[in-house]
Amino acid sequence: MRFRLIIPALVGLGSQLAHAEKLAVEKDELKFGFIKLTDCAPIVIAKEKGFFEDEGLQVEVIAQSNWKVLLDNVITGNLDGAHMLSGQPIAATIGIGTEAHIVTPYTLDLNGNAITVSNSIWEQMQENDPDLDSDTPEHPISADALKPITEDMLAEGKKLQMGMVFPVSTHNYELRYWLAAAGIHPGYYSKTDVAGRTDAEVELSVTPPPQMPATLEAGTISGYCVGEPWNQQAVAKGIGVPVVTNYEIWKNNPEKVFGVTKKWADENPNTIVAVTKALIRAGKWLDETVDGKLVNREEACRILSQPNYVGADFEVIKNSMTGTFAFQKSDIQDMPDFNVFFKHDCSYPWYSDGVWFLTQMRRWGQITETKPASWYAETAKKIYLPDVYMKAAESLISEGHLAEDELPKTTDGYKPATKDFIDGNEFDGKKPIEYLNSFKIGIKDDPSMATK
Amino acid sequence: MEFKYKILKGIDISGLNFLSPVVRLATGEEPAKQLREIGRFIVVPIIAFLAFLWLWSVVAPKHKTKAGEVPTPAVVWDATGGIWRFHEYETQKDQAYQLTGGTRLDTLGKAKARMAELDALEARAKEQLAAAEASSKEKFDARVAPSKKAYDDAREASKDARRTRTEALKAEAAQLAGATPEQRETFLNHLRDADAAAEAEKKSLDGLKAAYADAQTVTFPETKDARRTVTVLAEERQFLVKYLDMLGDNSREAKVADAKAKAEEARSAFLNAGPDEDLYKLGSTVLKRQELLATTAASQYAKPWTLPKQIVRSLLCVFSGFLLASFIAIPIGILCGLSPTFMAATTPFVALFKPVSPLVWLPIIMIIVGGFMPDPENHWLIVLLGKVPFLGNYKIDPMFLSSAITVALCSLWATLVNTALGVGSVDKDHMNVARVLRLGFWSRLFKIVIPTALPLIFAGLRISLGVGWMVLVAAEILSTSEGIGKFVNDMYTNGSSQSFAQMFVVVFIVGFIGMALDRIMVVFQRLVSFETAGSTL
Amino acid sequence: MSTLDFPPRMSFLTLENVAIGFGPENQRVNVLEDVNLSVRENEFVAVIGFSGAGKSTLVSLLAGLERPTAGKVTMAGEEVVRPGPRRGVMFQSYSLLPWLSVAGNIELAVKQVFPGKSKAEVKEHVERYIEMVHLTPAKDKKPHELSGGMRQRVSLARTLSMQPEVLLLDEPLSALDALTRAVLQDEILQIWEQEKKTVVLITNDVDEAILMADRIIPLTMGPRATLAEAFPVTLERPRDRRTLTDNPDYQHLKTEITSYLVRLNREARAARGGSIIQMPDVAPRDFTPPSKIRGLKWKNTA
Repeated sequence: MRFRLIIPALVGLGSQLAHAEKLAVEKDELKFGFIKLTDCAPIVIAKEKGFFEDEGLQVEVIAQSNWKVLLDNVITGNLDGAHMLSGQPIAATIGIGTEAHIVTPYTLDLNGNAITVSNSIWEQMQENDPDLDSDTPEHPISADALKPITEDMLAEGKKLQMGMVFPVSTHNYELRYWLAAAGIHPGYYSKTDVAGRTDAEVELSVTPPPQMPATLEAGTISGYCVGEPWNQQAVAKGIGVPVVTNYEIWKNNPEKVFGVTKKWADENPNTIVAVTKALIRAGKWLDETVDGKLVNREEACRILSQPNYVGADFEVIKNSMTGTFAFQKSDIQDMPDFNVFFKHDCSYPWYSDGVWFLTQMRRWGQITETKPASWYAETAKKIYLPDVYMKAAESLISEGHLAEDELPKTTDGYKPATKDFIDGNEFDGKKPIEYLNSFKIGIKDDPSMATK
Repeated sequence: MEFKYKILKGIDISGLNFLSPVVRLATGEEPAKQLREIGRFIVVPIIAFLAFLWLWSVVAPKHKTKAGEVPTPAVVWDATGGIWRFHEYETQKDQAYQLTGGTRLDTLGKAKARMAELDALEARAKEQLAAAEASSKEKFDARVAPSKKAYDDAREASKDARRTRTEALKAEAAQLAGATPEQRETFLNHLRDADAAAEAEKKSLDGLKAAYADAQTVTFPETKDARRTVTVLAEERQFLVKYLDMLGDNSREAKVADAKAKAEEARSAFLNAGPDEDLYKLGSTVLKRQELLATTAASQYAKPWTLPKQIVRSLLCVFSGFLLASFIAIPIGILCGLSPTFMAATTPFVALFKPVSPLVWLPIIMIIVGGFMPDPENHWLIVLLGKVPFLGNYKIDPMFLSSAITVALCSLWATLVNTALGVGSVDKDHMNVARVLRLGFWSRLFKIVIPTALPLIFAGLRISLGVGWMVLVAAEILSTSEGIGKFVNDMYTNGSSQSFAQMFVVVFIVGFIGMALDRIMVVFQRLVSFETAGSTL
Repeated sequence: MSTLDFPPRMSFLTLENVAIGFGPENQRVNVLEDVNLSVRENEFVAVIGFSGAGKSTLVSLLAGLERPTAGKVTMAGEEVVRPGPRRGVMFQSYSLLPWLSVAGNIELAVKQVFPGKSKAEVKEHVERYIEMVHLTPAKDKKPHELSGGMRQRVSLARTLSMQPEVLLLDEPLSALDALTRAVLQDEILQIWEQEKKTVVLITNDVDEAILMADRIIPLTMGPRATLAEAFPVTLERPRDRRTLTDNPDYQHLKTEITSYLVRLNREARAARGGSIIQMPDVAPRDFTPPSKIRGLKWKNTA
């Protein structure tokens, strides 16, 4: 009897100690960089809602002027970590542009981008496809109606100009995907053509997101692919029409990640877990629903509209973050999954996501050499750190911040094969070579590479 | 009287000559003349400024771009308030985090009371906004309806007409099987006519569409105002939520208390543990918790940069660059002035590097500085600068150094050239005096050459500081080094409805500081100029 | 060639067959040529000549600021190779350092010439010489706050404070108005009587020369100017300017010297074969940058 009384008491004490235990972080004052886009939300929310503080971290969140500066600051150690384009850690690690080994334990969000065209291109598209000439045209809108315009321009010896934000950004690949799906060639990169315009029917150029609307209005570019709030700005200011979201190009595509250098991750093994824990809680908070309604988004928009964060008008941020998307003033669609921060196993760092970006880099010639399928898998494993994520998630479960069933059910870190693309092509992260060879437009590799 | 002349002299040296008639008038010296002077040098500039404000507030609303509206003075003033509010909020949060004991509880109580008030205020503001939105929607609809209807109708009519024409032409085409070439030609003409008709319809449609679009571009000030009120209140709520949190459960005091309790608990668990427990584990828990307690006790609120602090950092940066430039430029300039050979060696560099833009220097310097500091936080220079009393609060990082070096590189030329010029233009008679006295090289340098060159050196420094201040803002924009430039860049990237106005605020701040710096240099320049003191402006 | 008026042991400051010219060697024109002069200790010699004749060059030679291209300059038997405080120069343009006060200007010289003096001694020394030129009330003023005459007094005080053996006065009074000039002439004379120094005064004023000097030596017209025969002045000292003009010796001497100078001028003009308008020998302070700077662009801030 005595024995039985003592044991539970001890166990109780022990478990209480264990689950209240904070990680002994190596570094408690951190500086994270971000670009003024709404998908930096998990980092900002983790700070503002005190999730970082709960891990014993004092985090300063610093806006960066562009992706290049941001990456350089992470590499040189001015920043501990940052909000990054999914392509950035991959490109840096394999040496496209600046070379540095960057890793990511956390995917910040899914979707969230759109392609906007200028009013005049939109009118011409409407002429080419009368179905578009409506206050509420049917979605998704493919680039089919754009093709005649590019052809006319080519006949006149001109090329349509479009903007994207960075050579290895999701926006670049999405824009290219959308164009190529309609048979419009966006051009190849090569060792000598770093602008990626070889064979191009539409020329893409890099423009910083905040300058997109102004550049569009000035007529330097006729369309762009960018994250929010810059598409909603175009609608609000009446200078362009978003035609398609990336949710429609590839349903639930990975967008931004949280990146740190490999060196930093190795030197701060506990800190990176602590950061990931805070980010998971932030992602979960952002996606919290009651009766299917996102309940925290309005508060998130208020926080993001602070001048030291995204800083855009609350109303503009709200347009895309609270489950709707305005294609035109007259065409506001429900899009509950336009910004996903947690559900659909969003935040887990999937190897298959890495493989998809690698295939696109190869497809458009940024990776200049043929690589075997095994290389794709190995490279993804060098960059994505699901182990850190799981450690953080398990720790959150033991603290009661996360439920067991909120963990992704996976054994190997690959998402199942999917056909949720605008062109219906199937992507299986384990078959990169087959995927590459399935595109009409794009570099193709020797099928024998698939088994090497 | 003595006192009056002292004041007048001070005014003269500081270059604030417009004040001297005020002083003279106050002492009753030639009132009519002084009033005239006051009229010219004080009233006229004020009137000019007011006229400028008036013109601005009249012209600004008329100039609308799709990228945004040109802010009126009132909007800019409002934006200044917004910037200040943000600063206040963050400062209060910072203070709140450190409050302890009764003060903390008092503040907490007040904040809670304010929160309660806010609920009512917010509810009322939202109601007003809803009402304003409803009424403006009504007005908007009424305004837009006719043009919309005209456009829709015309569009439908045009679609119908096109359909009818197409059908007619298709029917005609069906009859063409056995037609003669002439008849076929006629059909082609019909096709052309149809195209022309469609074109004409499109043109008139475009006109209607433009009218429709024009009707839509209307703003309702009452909605705008109501929305601003809601936004300001929502911002305050946002602030209060965090403020309450930092005064309450998340205050340092509370966290320290919590950490202390846990450390005590672990300690007693370790001390009282029986033989069959894992003492190693319990022991290390004690250490971990004690460490955590220490970090918590020393923790600070990670306060974001606000404009006032950014301004100070910019000033620090510009002065660092300026000092650096002076340390480089003055000795080199003296050598240039003394030795024609040295001058010949330096001239190509001056000519080559002087026109280079800061935007070119900065990336190069960032790479070089970055190269020297692979691990910036532990680099001796950063650590050292971090310990300097005032400077240490402003997070001196490689970006700061890069910006300061860029400022130095762009601004040193004026000082260098002016110093060389000053040193080279030493009076021959003064040199003869030096020779007669047999002054050595150093006495000659410090007693004759440098004093002669000082006014020109200071003229150069004044230009350098002005250039440096202009360069700094550009450098900060590019390097994202915290400061006014970063603020401008952030506001620009924000792309909010306030952005333009915030940038106007910065224009005035940058201008004002630039002016103040210039005045300071003028004073120095006058103090070292030995001839007539009134010539520099 | 030697036309020394006195045996060598008597002469203190001498020029022997001195020539000086400027410009490149093959086309050098001598400003002064074949100049011989011997000044006894404590003698007051005035060199009188027209503007542009090379009077200032003569002072430079005596001071050691310029080296002759031929011949030699000696003082107390030693060749003069560089300037030094033994030969104090008072420049026409005052050459006071504008950033130093009256006392500061003098102190600079005193400290340099008497490095062994203590602070108090320096101060005492400086004040003595300021007092000597009656500038004590203005001793803390800057040169730009003083009148021309006061400035020249400072210059005199500075030169005297070095306690030179020879005073070289390079037209010290020519830029001053007549009244101030008269006052200063008297002061200089008075001091000379007290201190008994060897003085070489360069001037273009015959009255001044007669009033002050023991001997007046005209400088012929340049180029290739040289010293002509000296006019001894045998008038009694102290000389009173009020009574001097009535003195027949004075009048005679003045006529003699003036007519000599007029003749010199006429000859020189005839030799040159034309009438050349002589610009006044008052050089403005040169504010143009030296040519070596012109290669650079600078911002003018005035």
